Amino acid sequence: MSNKAPLDYQLNTSFGTRKFTLSKLLIDPILVFSLLTILIFGLFVLFSASGQTVVMVMKQSIYVAIGLFLMFFISRLDQSVYKSFFMHLFWFGLILLVWVLLFPAEGYKTDRWIDLGFISFQPSEVIRLLLPLAAASYLTRNQKRNTIKDWVVVLVAILSSSFLIFKQPDLGTALIVLASGCIPVFLAGFPLLILIILMMVVIVSSPLLWASLTPYMQQRVITLFNPESDLLGAGWNISQSKTAIGSGGFWGKGYLNGTQSQLDFIPESHSDFIFSVIGEEFGFLGILLLLMLYGIILYRVFKIALNSSTEFSRLAATSIGFIFLIYIWINVSMTVGTLPVVGVPLPLISQGGTSILIHLVAFGFVLSMKRRQTW
Amino acid sequence: MSEFLNLDREKEAQTKRTNRSTFLLVLVGLFGFITLFQLVKLTVLDSGLYTTISDENRIVRVPIYPSRGLIKLSNGEIVTENIVSQALTISPSKTKDIEQTLKELKENLIINEKQLLAYKEKSIDKKSKYERVVIAENLSQQQIARFSVESDRWPSLSIEARLMRFNLSGPIFSHVLGYVGQISLEEIEDSINFSYPLSFQIGKSGVEKSYEEQMRGGVGYKTIEVDVHGKEIRELTRVIPKKGSDIYLTLDKDLQELARNELAGRKGAIVALDPNTGFIKALVSGPDFNPNILNKTEIGDLDIILNDLESPLFNRAISGSYPPASTIKPFIGLLGLKEGEIDWNTTIEDEGFFQLNEEGRKYRGWKEEGHGQVNLTKSIIESSDVFFYQLATQLTVDRIAIFLKKFGFGLKTGVDLYAEAEGILPDRKWKLGAIGESWFVGDTVNIGIGQGYISSTPLQLALAVSSIATRGKIYKPKVVSKVEEEIIEKEIFLEINSIKESDWEKLESSMVSVISDWRGTAFNLTEIAKNKIAGKTGTAQIKSLTDEELTVKEEYEDIRQEVSNRDHALFVGYGPIPEPKLTVVVIVENGESGSAIAAPIAQRLIDKYLSKNN
Repeated sequence: MSNKAPLDYQLNTSFGTRKFTLSKLLIDPILVFSLLTILIFGLFVLFSASGQTVVMVMKQSIYVAIGLFLMFFISRLDQSVYKSFFMHLFWFGLILLVWVLLFPAEGYKTDRWIDLGFISFQPSEVIRLLLPLAAASYLTRNQKRNTIKDWVVVLVAILSSSFLIFKQPDLGTALIVLASGCIPVFLAGFPLLILIILMMVVIVSSPLLWASLTPYMQQRVITLFNPESDLLGAGWNISQSKTAIGSGGFWGKGYLNGTQSQLDFIPESHSDFIFSVIGEEFGFLGILLLLMLYGIILYRVFKIALNSSTEFSRLAATSIGFIFLIYIWINVSMTVGTLPVVGVPLPLISQGGTSILIHLVAFGFVLSMKRRQTW
Repeated sequence: MSEFLNLDREKEAQTKRTNRSTFLLVLVGLFGFITLFQLVKLTVLDSGLYTTISDENRIVRVPIYPSRGLIKLSNGEIVTENIVSQALTISPSKTKDIEQTLKELKENLIINEKQLLAYKEKSIDKKSKYERVVIAENLSQQQIARFSVESDRWPSLSIEARLMRFNLSGPIFSHVLGYVGQISLEEIEDSINFSYPLSFQIGKSGVEKSYEEQMRGGVGYKTIEVDVHGKEIRELTRVIPKKGSDIYLTLDKDLQELARNELAGRKGAIVALDPNTGFIKALVSGPDFNPNILNKTEIGDLDIILNDLESPLFNRAISGSYPPASTIKPFIGLLGLKEGEIDWNTTIEDEGFFQLNEEGRKYRGWKEEGHGQVNLTKSIIESSDVFFYQLATQLTVDRIAIFLKKFGFGLKTGVDLYAEAEGILPDRKWKLGAIGESWFVGDTVNIGIGQGYISSTPLQLALAVSSIATRGKIYKPKVVSKVEEEIIEKEIFLEINSIKESDWEKLESSMVSVISDWRGTAFNLTEIAKNKIAGKTGTAQIKSLTDEELTVKEEYEDIRQEVSNRDHALFVGYGPIPEPKLTVVVIVENGESGSAIAAPIAQRLIDKYLSKNN
């Protein structure tokens, strides 16, 4: 750190420690304001994408509010309070995953939901946050170098949870969970040699993996490479999404003026394909601004991670950042047709309460990990 | 010590994590770059292309078809109008599983099997993606209600109001009007400068077909914005279609009705036209049909019309070929005069048969004992066959064929109705081609009395006879006198100049005597006739009388046991004399007697027409 102290520190010293400051309240104002901007923007986009239904936006707003409250609450916690909890919580999450497979909630297409009556949520969304945090916690539980046994334990946890989600069936989330688990493992120094061997094994066994995919999933992958082959079926999504983004051009067609969006040509426009709506109505410029906001968030997260006080918090925050990045990358890529349509929502914007909650909770943890003046 | 170790350990982990983070960032960044490039390609480089695609998605050009022109009588009375009918339509491109949809519709009793049949015959994948196809017409109120309740299940279906053809006069004008029906794929492909949609009602016969182009009008269009289900959101532009032209018939409704009643469902045809214009006043073909059943505006059994062995759809008046029989005689006589083979005083002895030579076959006349001394006049009045056997032989087929052609035999008249036949005007070349044999003199003998190979349509006969009334002028026959505001003028079709005026007059008076002379074959008309007419009877043999051992009478009695073997009854005539206003041709299939069956019909038609027009 240079001889110039951070702004908040200066303020604190000049006006006394009791003085209320924005930094104290929000911990990282730039990160929080970026999040808020995206969330509010997201609600507007959702209004447009949902065929201008107020109900859906209201519902989403409630989740956003709860999420922000949770984020605020968690950001106040000290990491020593919760660090060791994650491993227990993870086991609980795993039980929930088994639960949804054994007792599927009625009225849902796939076995993804747990319905508590007043609220329903997807345990897979919970596990995709718990898993990396638990892995980070486990891998940094002591000062010692991690043994082969440690790696194996973590890998088994990752593979079993993603397998359970894959069985729901939810290929997209299973892959995301797999990646979420692997990121802290990789960053924590997983032996490169074993990694390379494992990758070889995966490549060799890929035909077997392919065979284990359901025809629906196989079709989705096939149409990625040749979307025009099935314009009325699976290729329809990609081709309509590309048309929406492409026709938006540089400036976009204007809010609520996207013909592809408003006339229902984009399927799932409120959830997985909400990025296409943004592209159509706000153009390349809008996309660029949104990606910049995401970039700022990522920058702040990585910055917090780098300056964090413990190995656990550094590892956990970095992982959360990467997971967030991968979410964005997969979603954008699938809407522009460079990745298969795997059903990954655009973080903070796509319709889906659990997803928003989990992202905000994750940011709550990141904020709590920021090294700061204790008071 | 351990503190230091831990610090080292932590530092090592930190370095490793930083390196790996950087690696991961670069990796995601590289993939991200691909996606970013794709974004630039979509929104900047290929934006124009995608704008076009997105517009094609939402903007649909929908043709607007004008209402079909009406069919009216010359006094403006409407004969055929358009009525509104509810049809169930489908948008094939928006339907995932057409077969399944149809099955569901049937299960929900919204359409029945019969209404669906028309759809199955059609291939739907040939036409453009936004076109709607009719799957059921004439929905009942009940069907509409049942569909409306559950319409959400089939977003690609909708109920549309369509204009359907309805004939106010039912079957009276059936063959003249014709009917409309769903356009066939062949018709769509064949049509030039008009793009017919699927499910379009196109004229299939009669004036509905021949005036299709005028009555359908010009297509307009509107561009609309649709959502993904093809539902119209708003209209963007509209070009008004050009209304179809109304057409006015030359026909006289009373005369047509009378003619139809006179034929009384028998097989046959009646043509009545104005010899001075060619305008057709009545045209009946029996049996006929109710066009509304084919237009689907009246419930009826289509199969009966389509599969009836007596083919009610067949327009005998213009498409039926009959031997002209004795009605040919005046023309053969004219040729004899013109060629100088005979004059009005030339007389021969009719002993009841004609032989080419002493041992040759006997060509018998219809009267076994013969007509005695006959000249041309008497031969026409009494219809002597022997006179014309001999005259035809003298004239030879070559001269006969050339001459008859001038009266329109063997030629299409060009009437403004479809599916006209040209009959057969045989000559040596024709026989070699069609039968594969060379011409025999015997064939010429038969032509002399309008039997053998020669055949003509009732309309052709009407035109030929009209030439006597007009002294050589034949006008093109027409059933339409006006298209919207454009009046259709009479048109000369054929002109015969080589006949002396005195010959025309004498021929006419011979034909008047057919009715007025007590020896005349149609003398029976004298009782009912209100107006003086000229005419000629004919009895067309189906089975030729060849058995020489039997007398004509015996043989004939035998043959006529079978109805379909009985002779056709013919009469051609015009009136009044002088200044003829109407030519009538009557053919009653298997009616046996031209004088008893056909002639009175013609007389009554002419009387009716004159009583109306005086």
